[in-house]
Amino acid sequence: MTERRPAWLLAPPGLIDYDVANDAMHALARRRLDDEIPDSVIVLQHPPVFTAGRRAAEEELLWEEETVTARGGAVRRIDRGGSFTFHGPGQLVVYPILGLGDRPDAAAHLRRLEEIAIRTCADLGATVDRRADVQTGVWVGDEKICAIGVRLLRTRVTLHGMALNCDTDLAWFDGIVACGLPDHGVTSLSRVIGRDVRVDEVAPIAIRHVAEVFGLRLTQAPDEIVRLFFAAAVA
Amino acid sequence: MTSIQMPQLGETIVEGTILKWLKSEGDQVKADEPLFEISTDKVDTEVPSPVAGTVTKLLVAEGATVPVGTAVMEIDDGSGAGGNGASAPASAPAAAPAQPATPAAEAPAPAEAAQPTPRPQQPAPARTTAVPSTMPDRGPRSGILSPIVRKLARERGIDLATIAGTGDGGRITKADVLAATAAPPAAGTTVTPLPSVGPAAAAVMVAAPSMPAGQGEEAQPISHIRKAIATHMLASTQQTARAWTMVEVNVDRLVHLREESKEKFQANFGVKLTYLPMVTRATIDALQQFPLVNSRLDGETIVTPRFVNMGIAVSYDAGLIVPVVKGADGMNTVGIARAIADLAARARSHQLQPDEVQGATFTITNPGPYGSLLSVPIINQPNAGILSLDGIQKRPVVVEDDAIAVRSMVYISMSWDHRLIDGELATRFLARVKHNLETWDFAEDLGL
Repeated sequence: MTERRPAWLLAPPGLIDYDVANDAMHALARRRLDDEIPDSVIVLQHPPVFTAGRRAAEEELLWEEETVTARGGAVRRIDRGGSFTFHGPGQLVVYPILGLGDRPDAAAHLRRLEEIAIRTCADLGATVDRRADVQTGVWVGDEKICAIGVRLLRTRVTLHGMALNCDTDLAWFDGIVACGLPDHGVTSLSRVIGRDVRVDEVAPIAIRHVAEVFGLRLTQAPDEIVRLFFAAAVA
Repeated sequence: MTSIQMPQLGETIVEGTILKWLKSEGDQVKADEPLFEISTDKVDTEVPSPVAGTVTKLLVAEGATVPVGTAVMEIDDGSGAGGNGASAPASAPAAAPAQPATPAAEAPAPAEAAQPTPRPQQPAPARTTAVPSTMPDRGPRSGILSPIVRKLARERGIDLATIAGTGDGGRITKADVLAATAAPPAAGTTVTPLPSVGPAAAAVMVAAPSMPAGQGEEAQPISHIRKAIATHMLASTQQTARAWTMVEVNVDRLVHLREESKEKFQANFGVKLTYLPMVTRATIDALQQFPLVNSRLDGETIVTPRFVNMGIAVSYDAGLIVPVVKGADGMNTVGIARAIADLAARARSHQLQPDEVQGATFTITNPGPYGSLLSVPIINQPNAGILSLDGIQKRPVVVEDDAIAVRSMVYISMSWDHRLIDGELATRFLARVKHNLETWDFAEDLGL
């Protein structure tokens, strides 16, 4: 058996504001870059928010921003790869902050994120797969169940990650051309399996596969680190 | 002059888009400072500078999508003559695979990573030399110390209260502890401290007590390459269950073949005929017979490629590098000879691309020409084994009918990872290599 690298798990409960989580994630990544902290894995849910990678086309946001706000959502332009996506309650979000070493293989990182989603869904009885012919991500036929988008700091440390729909309200996806693919849909574990599958049920399974696929030995992050995810709420 | 290329971020990523230039022509850049932002399929990244210098030219427009390896920027780093391409992510030759064992043993410190030749270290901007009598207010986060920093400080006997942190909000970083170790605040010391080395080297060397250069000794900062080799080799000894097996091979026929044909071969193909390509060809066949020897451990999964990418250890002025003959299983011995000659020549002239030193599924080292008879190499992780071709020597051997005869013999051995391979497999593998070398007629494969 190979040795697993020690890593921190940060799983703040509840819905974590996108901006707070994004700032905390970047702060962790900068410290990871400086070798001050071990690899870390953030697992959480966001309140409703549309996020756009920098190559997202503005016309792929189908609702006016006022409409989004009126419905209790927000729009954020961020620094990851990929186009528009949606995060919200009922969606399991995993942000691995990993050092990729001297020979960063971003493609391998994407494949590992997919692998985590595939194994997690399989454990719950859902058969999902890659669609190398379409796009990175995990799919059930022509419908995407897990969106993936990544940023690297100086090519060496990973940010952002994956979003797996558990019992997400898929109506939100009407507001965007998800992942820039107008002819493909989205789905969720609940819809695929035919019962309500909650994030609470999926998270422990996903965390186990995160540890296996990335070769990590996860321990709870120190309190002062987890607190980063609540900092801005206080400020 | 260093030319910066669109970096290779994985074998399947073939192109990238320049999202934004972060530096303009004429700008000064520090090593590891981000130069530009790129975007590929689902990955965006900033690309750091491998050198310190002045940006002299932006070669493509913002928004342009170019193939990996395309030169996109030129930096005058004072190295004079142009030429050597540098791809942005440090392409440490034998450096650890994508998953380093511990964060501390991972990538060299940014500044080190990017400087092929040692330069005077820039003074740490915010490190104060005076010992503050009381702790200054460093903001809310100054109290957070990472376990790595605490451990390092403990190991080095540094009182953290005497260090002013340079991190976010005054946090004490690992670099601060290292700086405090390298240059203690005691002024007026006459001993020149060893140039401070980055965290990776520190991690590699942390176990040895410091013994600075004294009279009659010369102190030299460790090079980036040396550090990468040190990290990689140490990690391999710590992470693999290394065992070793040797066979003795009668290469009389190969020696005769080479003596008879070397001029013709060189004339036909433009490269020297050596034993290494023949041994490589024989080894590839054995890898195909015993695929587990060509495999690697990925976490708790055994990954077995259906192809052979053969790593060939090459020594050059900066140290050791392992260029990879990609798809070696599809080549005949001539093709392998050409590929090895090409990679070795470019390794020695520092012209290898990052992806040419990545992705080996097995490795061969060849210390024979330098006179070794027997070597116990360290496994080039994540490979399952490394084969050593040592020196060919005429020896008295027992042949048929118990007669003693003089034959050209060689020891061929393999260090193998007992986590993946057991002794029977290792031995049958080597027996196959031996059988191939003793029975194959290489003349045809060599086009002779």
